Amino acid sequence: MNWLNGIYNFRIVSDYFETFLNGIFNTVWITLVCLGLSVFFGIFLALMRMSSISVMWRTAAAYIQFVRATPLLIQIYLVYYGLPGLIGNFFDETQTGIIALTLHTTPYMAEIIRAGIVSVPKTQTEGAQAVGMNSAQAMYHIILPQAIAKLISPLLGQAVVLLKDTSLLSIIAVFELMGAGLIMFSETVSATESYVTTAICYLLIYLMMLVASGFIQRKLGGTATYAT
Amino acid sequence: MTFQVSMIAIILGSLLGAVLGIMKTLDSRALRLGIDAYMHFFRGTPYLVQLYLIYFVLPSLGIAWLQFDSYTAAIVSLTLYTASYVTAIVASAIDAVPRGQEEAARACGMTKAQRLYHIIVPQALRLTVPPMASVYVIVIKSTAVLSVIGLSELTRQGETSILRMPQDTMFIYALIAGLYFVYCYPVLRFARWAERRVGSSAAAQENA
Repeated sequence: MNWLNGIYNFRIVSDYFETFLNGIFNTVWITLVCLGLSVFFGIFLALMRMSSISVMWRTAAAYIQFVRATPLLIQIYLVYYGLPGLIGNFFDETQTGIIALTLHTTPYMAEIIRAGIVSVPKTQTEGAQAVGMNSAQAMYHIILPQAIAKLISPLLGQAVVLLKDTSLLSIIAVFELMGAGLIMFSETVSATESYVTTAICYLLIYLMMLVASGFIQRKLGGTATYAT
Repeated sequence: MTFQVSMIAIILGSLLGAVLGIMKTLDSRALRLGIDAYMHFFRGTPYLVQLYLIYFVLPSLGIAWLQFDSYTAAIVSLTLYTASYVTAIVASAIDAVPRGQEEAARACGMTKAQRLYHIIVPQALRLTVPPMASVYVIVIKSTAVLSVIGLSELTRQGETSILRMPQDTMFIYALIAGLYFVYCYPVLRFARWAERRVGSSAAAQENA
């Protein structure tokens, strides 16, 4: 085992076990919070995008295009430096990071949700109208439940992207998994142990999500088109 | 610099990805497992981590030709990152070509290489265009991350000017965002246009 210790020293890593555990914990809960928020806002953005009112869908489309065509890092900087100017130092780094990441992920979610809604046949809406539902009722009772089943697979793909994106929050000093790696590096100056460990942790979370998403898809009987 | 790095990475990554993608569809189990492991690694870890691994960790292995400067590290990491996406696209496009095509080609007495070159790849190629364009946008956007290893691309240039003019922080970041937008938006439009041309849901599922 000595040759291996020369490359990757387990003893140093074990000293930072707790740091990494905290990092993983933060990464996971930040991912989950952003996931929930972006799905929630994504539904509204998708409905806005499909609205027949010109101002509504144009605003939504512009926002979606802006987010898709600019790097997340720049968006994080814009929120991080811009937010205090708008509302003062109201949020700490982690909250700012969550806001930036939610603003970034919401358009992707909106597009996924929109694709799901569009894929529900028009006759379903017409049927709902025929039994006297208004369009909000039709959306809530008829369209969304059917759309959601088709959404699971791309949604899980986006969740993996989100998980990876949280790593960029380390740049505005949010302590998550990448942050744990950076802390270990700054204290031990051993790049291999710090960053290889970080990579392994991300891989473990990713593989768990992969297994979970396969399980969910089998449960729902959907097609196993898994793509990140 | 952003343009240069992203172009080199896109070209090299596409070539590597195409080769790996074709290899993945061959009948070798070991080959497929290896490529799968590679893909899972590069799609399961953040690009920032991959960049750090290649820029900070590889040199510590003590092998002379793995001592990258920031430019080489940027190209190598971005190429491998691009290739991991392209591999998946190429492999699924080849899978999307109906089996009958391959069987017919075999019935005509073509070898495996001939079948791929004359029959399968030409048909698969057009399926790859829309998802490929989406991946290129991801790659271009990823170049922003390169600023953390000090490569003087667009984002880094912006940060340098912020040091000189700290009162204009927001304006400079907005400007960077605008420049990226000008670069990426046409590619995104092209992806959407190509998607409609190819008109298959297979292409739409690939990018997320």
